[in-house]
Amino acid sequence: MPELKSLIEMELPSGDQVSVFRRRYGGGAGPRVAVVAGIRGDAPEGIRVAHQVASFLADVEDQLTGIVDIYPCANPLAAEQGSRRWPFFDVDLNRLFPGRIHGHPPDRTAHALCADVRGADLVVELRGARPSFREAPQAHVRVKNLDAAELAQSANVSVVWQRTPGPAAPSTFAHQFSGSIVLEGGSGNRLTESVGRDLRDGVLNLLAAKGILPEGALPFHWAALQRPVLVTDAQVFRVRTESSGLFLPAGELWGEVKEGEPLGEIIEPTTGDLVQSVLSPVSGRLLAIREQPAVFLGTMVARVVVV
Amino acid sequence: MSVVFRIDSPYRSPYELHRLTFGSGSPSVAIVAGLHGNELNAIHAVNMLVSALRVQRPRGTVHLFPLVNTFGADEARKRWPFDDQDINRAFPGDPSGTAVQRIAYALLEASQADICVDVHSGAPHVRELPQVRAPMSGEELELARAMGLPVVWRRPGARLEATGLVGAWREKGRSALHVVGGRGLTLDSRLSTIMASGLSGLLSHLGIVPSMGPPKTIADVAHADIETHRAPCGGFFVSEVRVGDIVGAGHLLGYLQAPVGGERLGEVRALRRGVVMTLRANPLVHAAELLVRVARQER
Repeated sequence: MPELKSLIEMELPSGDQVSVFRRRYGGGAGPRVAVVAGIRGDAPEGIRVAHQVASFLADVEDQLTGIVDIYPCANPLAAEQGSRRWPFFDVDLNRLFPGRIHGHPPDRTAHALCADVRGADLVVELRGARPSFREAPQAHVRVKNLDAAELAQSANVSVVWQRTPGPAAPSTFAHQFSGSIVLEGGSGNRLTESVGRDLRDGVLNLLAAKGILPEGALPFHWAALQRPVLVTDAQVFRVRTESSGLFLPAGELWGEVKEGEPLGEIIEPTTGDLVQSVLSPVSGRLLAIREQPAVFLGTMVARVVVV
Repeated sequence: MSVVFRIDSPYRSPYELHRLTFGSGSPSVAIVAGLHGNELNAIHAVNMLVSALRVQRPRGTVHLFPLVNTFGADEARKRWPFDDQDINRAFPGDPSGTAVQRIAYALLEASQADICVDVHSGAPHVRELPQVRAPMSGEELELARAMGLPVVWRRPGARLEATGLVGAWREKGRSALHVVGGRGLTLDSRLSTIMASGLSGLLSHLGIVPSMGPPKTIADVAHADIETHRAPCGGFFVSEVRVGDIVGAGHLLGYLQAPVGGERLGEVRALRRGVVMTLRANPLVHAAELLVRVARQER
């Protein structure tokens, strides 16, 4: 049985209680890996993968040569209603790290999570796709962290993206741990069976790569894993609209696209007239596509990665 | 305090519907607040009644439900957060339905009494002078008047939703009243105290608690006696009165100005003598939105 620990217990105005839990598998002096999901409540794919990984580890716990800490849901009140932000305070937990010990409940949760994860040899954050989008399975690591980039190639994803931290990055969870790997994919606020399976296998393979889980215990053959392409920001193109209207997507996710080929069209909502054909600016593969049709001028509708 | 209904939630402690019962026998009264989690004056008023009944010996039964929608209250939301459903549109409920339908069913079952009162606050964008309002006649009107709230509004039946708690109680043959006071998302102790006094007045009228003295109703009106002012255009509404103010014909109730530049777009003036019973609190208004209600008051 895994060790169950409550990181933080919060009393709500009504007197109800809510807690954030960690489940620990394995033990000993080997490496420790932290797998964190549900920092935002609209990423159920990550929560599902965390539970699937935990379920597998429970069956092979006697073979583990290290510790795997699973945090299946860091933002339970948001997850309860499928909202991105922590309800009542209406804040994005992933903009509050490293948190404050004497702050409001979201701040204290961020602090407690960081304190518990600190010292781990590897931190894996599980997400879903961004809202309104469908995305290919992908790993994000910080640019110039070559060890993380190399390790992430074992994560059974289509692409490993070495990202340059943006202005908001310092307040995100992943940024608190230099070698962290963020796994995401699927559809915003939805479960996608194939993506969940890919990411579960990816996490298990990372555990094998870290030497915690013997390769012989993996539920798949190594040859079945994806060989991701390694890209930097310069290879990822954001496609934005040049007019407002309804965006109707075309194209297959992770399918090849040629420069100038259509990724979708924008129609005028009242008349249905074609307003713009949205074309790929480069030749590459379709990494993400918008599935919520209402767009303004400048809305991102696709990401194309040059491979 | 007893738990009359419980349902597990995905992440937090289970939802529990709490009932506090004082006394026994007839007559029986059930008072409910917090169907909407953001209506804090109503919750506070019923909790004041709880405090009063703890030091009294009621001659009859009083069932109190101070806060039904605890999950909504945790987020300062009117509706049940999980699926954004209004509990007060889920009656008579369903014991095999969604969580909201089960709560509605359990509440209707647990609030069996001769006389029932559903207590609310106004919406977050309006402030209401404490009032009892519903289609009323006969015994219900007598009970409403016994509360002594500032306004008794004999409101047309079309506004009594069949899926609301008051409508569901009446379907079951119970006398049911609807009390409203204050503004959502805020606590006004003065208005809450008036609401609690009205609830005590009802219990006093029924002989359950000692007499409270004569009612202090300012306006006892039919729907035709309510003067409703709506915004002639969109803009920024600045009120010049407070709820409870007595105004005369021509009194400036407020004005609309342009949000950018402040140009005055129109004025709202009372048509006749009355008491301000409803007042817009959020100044940003669309055309035709409610700004002020004035209840006619005879000298």
